[in-house]
Amino acid sequence: MAEDLVLDTAIRDWVLVPLSVVMVLIGVLRYFVSKLLRSSQTPDAKVVREGQLILRARNLRAAGGFIPVKSFRARRFYYTNEENGLLHVPKGQAQNPQAQMFSDPNMAMDMMKKNLSMIIPQSLTFAWVNFFFSGFVAAKLPFPLTPRFRSMLQNGIDLSTVDVSYVSGRSWYFLNLFGLRGLFSLILGEENAMDDTQRMMQMGGGFGVDPTKNLGAEKDGIDIIQHEWTLPKMEQRAEMVLRKLVK
Amino acid sequence: MVGATEEARLNQLESQVDNGGGGAWEYLCLVRKLKARRSEKVLRHGIFILNSHIARSKLGGEEWTLYEQVAVAAMDCHRNDIANDCIEALSKKFPGSIRVGRLKGMLLEAKGAWPDAEKIYAQLLVDNPLDQIILKRKVAIAKAQGNLAAAVEYLNNYLETFMADHDAWRELAELYISIQMYKQAAFCYEELILSQPTVPLYHLAYADVLYTMGGLENLQAAKKYYASTINLTGGKNTRALYGICLSSVAINQLTKGRNKDEKDSADLQPLAAEALLKDYKERAPEKLPLVTAMLRNIKLVS
Amino acid sequence: MAVQDSTRSSSEGKSGDDGEDLSIFHAENLQNNMKSIYYSRTFLSIMGGVVAGIWGFTGLMGFVFYLLIMAIASLGLLAKAKFSVGNYFDSWNRIILDGFFGGLMSFVLFWTFAYDIVHIF
Repeated sequence: MAEDLVLDTAIRDWVLVPLSVVMVLIGVLRYFVSKLLRSSQTPDAKVVREGQLILRARNLRAAGGFIPVKSFRARRFYYTNEENGLLHVPKGQAQNPQAQMFSDPNMAMDMMKKNLSMIIPQSLTFAWVNFFFSGFVAAKLPFPLTPRFRSMLQNGIDLSTVDVSYVSGRSWYFLNLFGLRGLFSLILGEENAMDDTQRMMQMGGGFGVDPTKNLGAEKDGIDIIQHEWTLPKMEQRAEMVLRKLVK
Repeated sequence: MVGATEEARLNQLESQVDNGGGGAWEYLCLVRKLKARRSEKVLRHGIFILNSHIARSKLGGEEWTLYEQVAVAAMDCHRNDIANDCIEALSKKFPGSIRVGRLKGMLLEAKGAWPDAEKIYAQLLVDNPLDQIILKRKVAIAKAQGNLAAAVEYLNNYLETFMADHDAWRELAELYISIQMYKQAAFCYEELILSQPTVPLYHLAYADVLYTMGGLENLQAAKKYYASTINLTGGKNTRALYGICLSSVAINQLTKGRNKDEKDSADLQPLAAEALLKDYKERAPEKLPLVTAMLRNIKLVS
Repeated sequence: MAVQDSTRSSSEGKSGDDGEDLSIFHAENLQNNMKSIYYSRTFLSIMGGVVAGIWGFTGLMGFVFYLLIMAIASLGLLAKAKFSVGNYFDSWNRIILDGFFGGLMSFVLFWTFAYDIVHIF
């Protein structure tokens, strides 16, 4: 057993603590920088309109039961009819979001800024960690793990005899990267809860969202729902309420 | 809309500030956050802070927010001189800002110089045609001049784009009611109910519109919406109770010969009448005979 | 102290009170409630991690401790919701599971951190 690996206290003072502190500080710094960079772009009328339209359609879907059948049908027709319904998108008009992005340099610029504020500090920190701390055994997990985790936790140490629960400096960096997001959401407010990993996923899954797709989905949703007027039920309930009140 | 707890907090702070207990800045912040309209108080305390150098420098960058708030409050109290001073200070600090331009337009409005105000707004709209506040100001100008048709038109244009803005829908509904276009008003209230189904006021207003339009179907629907208002307010809303009584009387009149009234809600009207009487007995006993006589007249109470 | 916090920060906004047969939810309030759940869970998992590290829990013991904390948090939330979940949330899973796995990462990190600083070095 390589159980009694003795770690120098200098490692704590010069690797473990600084690494975590730097990660926290960088997270905070990045938050403010991205706040600074966030340009107040003037939105396009069509985009605003589509966003609001989706909100309104969603309201109809959620609370459709509160208005009479006739009104509901009229609205549904208004949204989804095939000729000029608001949610109906003609086939040819659905343009490629990629093309749309390149036609609008502002949007591309914004995306760039967002990504840069994420990628630059991340790669810099990683390079820094790699350069200074790659060979260290920085920490020990308080629980045992199977050897499968070796490549994950002992990134940068090529010793197969060391117990798996010892963590190398580089892996400590990754642990921090994932574990600190909770702390960030506490100290920086909720909007930071959307973390790097999620953002990376989004980036992989296609640049930007296609608004026409949203419209189509909303249209299908409205087409499907059945109208059930909740008001008659309300009458009986009101009766109950009054009976209680009068008594 | 201001919740009950927030309003209590606001009132508490207000009395504290009025009695010289400090916390004026917190009070102003809260007013701004809740969008409460207490212009007189805001004006008095805001001016006090702005006039004292020490208090003002403590605010740092927030000072300019205070200038804006005081300017608007001053216009509301018709102290155009104060508003003018505030706007001057702001435009010296932020030349060419849209927000200051907006304030200038509002000052002109307060003075009643409608064409000038409209000119300023038109200029601002050239740069960013989607500024919600300016678009709403245009509606307000039309309304202030008594040109309701134009106000409706502007508001419709606005809603064409910002169709999820329920405050605008509410304004439009009230405008439609005041020019007696009830069908359109009903549509607006439906839209409001859709966006906030738990707000009893919208149900009540919708029921009122339906009752006003008349006709058997509308009356029945009106009764249902009065019922849902009762449901949402726990039976505390007097207007809804009256609404139940009146609409069911009207329905009875219309269906007298046919006698195809729904059985399930037959209990509702006597209950509503009873609740009304109880309410009056508790809160305004001197008016009780009047209400009893009225209800007897329409044969709801024997 | 930790438990107190969980009950304090949860649910300031009350969601739709009509929850018996017709479910009407005030989306904003619901969101607010979920946010406070998330907040208290995260706070608890960080605090719990530090405590577990300082007490020197190792192995399974630590995870049991985490489960215990989350169970207490659920109980606290339940008490705060006055044992009628339907009035505040759209499903039971919200109280029991929301923020569970998100908190786990934070818990492990802070657990390791505190444990290493106190016991290893």
